[in-house]
Amino acid sequence: MSTEMRADPGLYDYALRPPRLPDPPKPENDHLPIDIEVRVGMYEMQQLIRQTEKRAHDLFLQNLVKGTTHLSLGMEAIATGFARAMRPDDYTFATYRGHAHTIARGADIKKVLAELLGRETGLLKGKGGSMHLTDVEHGMMGSYAIIGAHLCIANGAAWSSQMRGTGQVTVCFFGDGTTNIGAFHEAVNFAALWKLPVVFVCENNLYMEYTPIDLVTPVEHPAADRASAYGLEAVLIDGNDADEVYVTAEEAISRARRGEGPTLVEAVTYRQGGHSRADPGKYRPSEELQAWLDKDPIKLYHQRLLRLGVPESRLTEIAQDVARRVDEATEFAKASPRPGPEHLLTDVWADGGSEWRN
Amino acid sequence: MRQLLTPSGDLVGEAPFGLDLCVRLYRAMVVARSYDRKCVALQKQGRLATYAPFEGQEAAQIGSAAALEPDDWMVATYRDAAAMWAQGYPMELLVAGRTGDERGGSPPDHVNVLPPSITVGGHMVHAVGLAWAERLQGSSRIAITYFGDGATSEGDFHEALNFAGVYGVGCVFFCQNNGWAISMPRSAQTASETIAQKAIAYGMPGVQVDGNDLFAVYEVTRQAVERARAGEGPTLIEAVTYRLGPHTTSDDPGRYRDAGEVEEWRRRDPLERVRIFLSERGRWDPEWQAEVEEKAAREVERAVELAESLPPPAPGDVFGGMFESPPRHLREQQATLELYRAAGEG
Repeated sequence: MSTEMRADPGLYDYALRPPRLPDPPKPENDHLPIDIEVRVGMYEMQQLIRQTEKRAHDLFLQNLVKGTTHLSLGMEAIATGFARAMRPDDYTFATYRGHAHTIARGADIKKVLAELLGRETGLLKGKGGSMHLTDVEHGMMGSYAIIGAHLCIANGAAWSSQMRGTGQVTVCFFGDGTTNIGAFHEAVNFAALWKLPVVFVCENNLYMEYTPIDLVTPVEHPAADRASAYGLEAVLIDGNDADEVYVTAEEAISRARRGEGPTLVEAVTYRQGGHSRADPGKYRPSEELQAWLDKDPIKLYHQRLLRLGVPESRLTEIAQDVARRVDEATEFAKASPRPGPEHLLTDVWADGGSEWRN
Repeated sequence: MRQLLTPSGDLVGEAPFGLDLCVRLYRAMVVARSYDRKCVALQKQGRLATYAPFEGQEAAQIGSAAALEPDDWMVATYRDAAAMWAQGYPMELLVAGRTGDERGGSPPDHVNVLPPSITVGGHMVHAVGLAWAERLQGSSRIAITYFGDGATSEGDFHEALNFAGVYGVGCVFFCQNNGWAISMPRSAQTASETIAQKAIAYGMPGVQVDGNDLFAVYEVTRQAVERARAGEGPTLIEAVTYRLGPHTTSDDPGRYRDAGEVEEWRRRDPLERVRIFLSERGRWDPEWQAEVEEKAAREVERAVELAESLPPPAPGDVFGGMFESPPRHLREQQATLELYRAAGEG
């Protein structure tokens, strides 16, 4: 009788693991039927996310950001493609890696950076910080730090839209590690059964913190290979191609809006940095990291737009304009005051204060 | 759906065992049914607490348990007394547990069956832990865990199967899909066509079997057990069966399901088809049935007598049966109780 475990403990030695290389980019996606101005807009959005997040990282190194930050560098195409396909009154639910989704839904980056710096002018008056970015005005219903829990909350929002008959769709983002959490299972099962207008998007960046997802998942595609358990179709896409994300999002969102129920999308991507600001990400083979850096979503998108005839000068202008806006936002955030102690007990309850409870 | 013995007793494939074992398992099913009906009656008399009957699921439980080695682990629910008894859990302790006596939850050391889990789904994780521990110790023991269709929507189901799948743990996941999770029909439980197909999500084989077919249940479980024992990993079995009775003695299924549905399943009785099979092979006649039933009734009576003749538990017993070395706060409470009792008696 064999007593050998299937997961060879040797696999935990990262040096022994084969690199997980990306699929090649798809030039054929140049021909997807997407208006060129929509594409230029998505280029600008990816630039805005990238540059804002890089600035956030710099500010962190200057000790101006309190707490921690989780960046989406390399994953901008997913937030961008989905947000572009959403209606202004649709809902977004994200994880603590939520800067990209907040910005993509149209939040003012001044308020985003101010929030990261803990300033009164921030999205949450400086009391939430990087891991809790929320902007209800733009449908960004929160960044959640408990892995998996927000899928159930997203269901609640979707259910509410269903009952109110508003046609709003909820899009809920989460990482690959979440797919092994019980709440994922409960939420997707429930949504599929009740045909909730929700789109679940697994941003599979191959690592849950420092653990390669394939070490703890018995199937190759942690979300797509699970779809059948809920009677859903498997949808596996290139998460580094904003156009592919956009057309997938349009289809899934329209389906949900038509009352045909949820879609579970797995977008394969890679975080170019570590898990959080405290992690240099040294556990990843350099060959793997390099291959994914070469598949940078913004770089590839830039090349696509050039192929489609957008002048290089226009793209440069966009990038420069974004840089200027990020600078302005940085100055705004730095100049903003910190919330005073009188704000300590406010904004917790819907009725404004906690006084009547005391 | 795998089937070897049709509801009318026709063999459609090869019998997985000889006539002698078939007779033994038939007798076991008769005992199980006798136990189940007795418990319902005892509850009505106020002698048992709430009871969850399993009538209709005897083949699923007896057939699967028969495929185990005597020392394999079993982690089951409040509706799996037949399987637990078949795996060596003393019947009197099963009864005692239902009277509310904590001693019912402490089987003898050589019995590798955990007390029944009331928490839906939570116990599956324990089964995975037991099987994994056996594997790490180089033992060939495997674990089987029983649960219902409702439990498959619990997060614990997902985490248990994922873990077992990725580490190739020798655990057999035995789902008795009895059609109803209390008042929730299977169709309202999950949008997936079968429960067996959920195995795909965990990289393990999934098999759907006629849960009222003793032969097929035994055969698919035997194969899953063999796989687990050989280190080839877990299997998810969906045994399609039916709970003929209420969810528990506190439930009135007439309020949520059709009497016609129950009648239809009554015609697929798991005992009846084996009875026909044995009868056609000269191993069954009405006198023998009467004798089997009488012996079963005596065995159940004996268990009830033993359970009811246990001396009443002492107040301090409430601290036992939980911790190998109790934590400080419980030791303190125990000491307080002793002081209090000493003062009361003095």
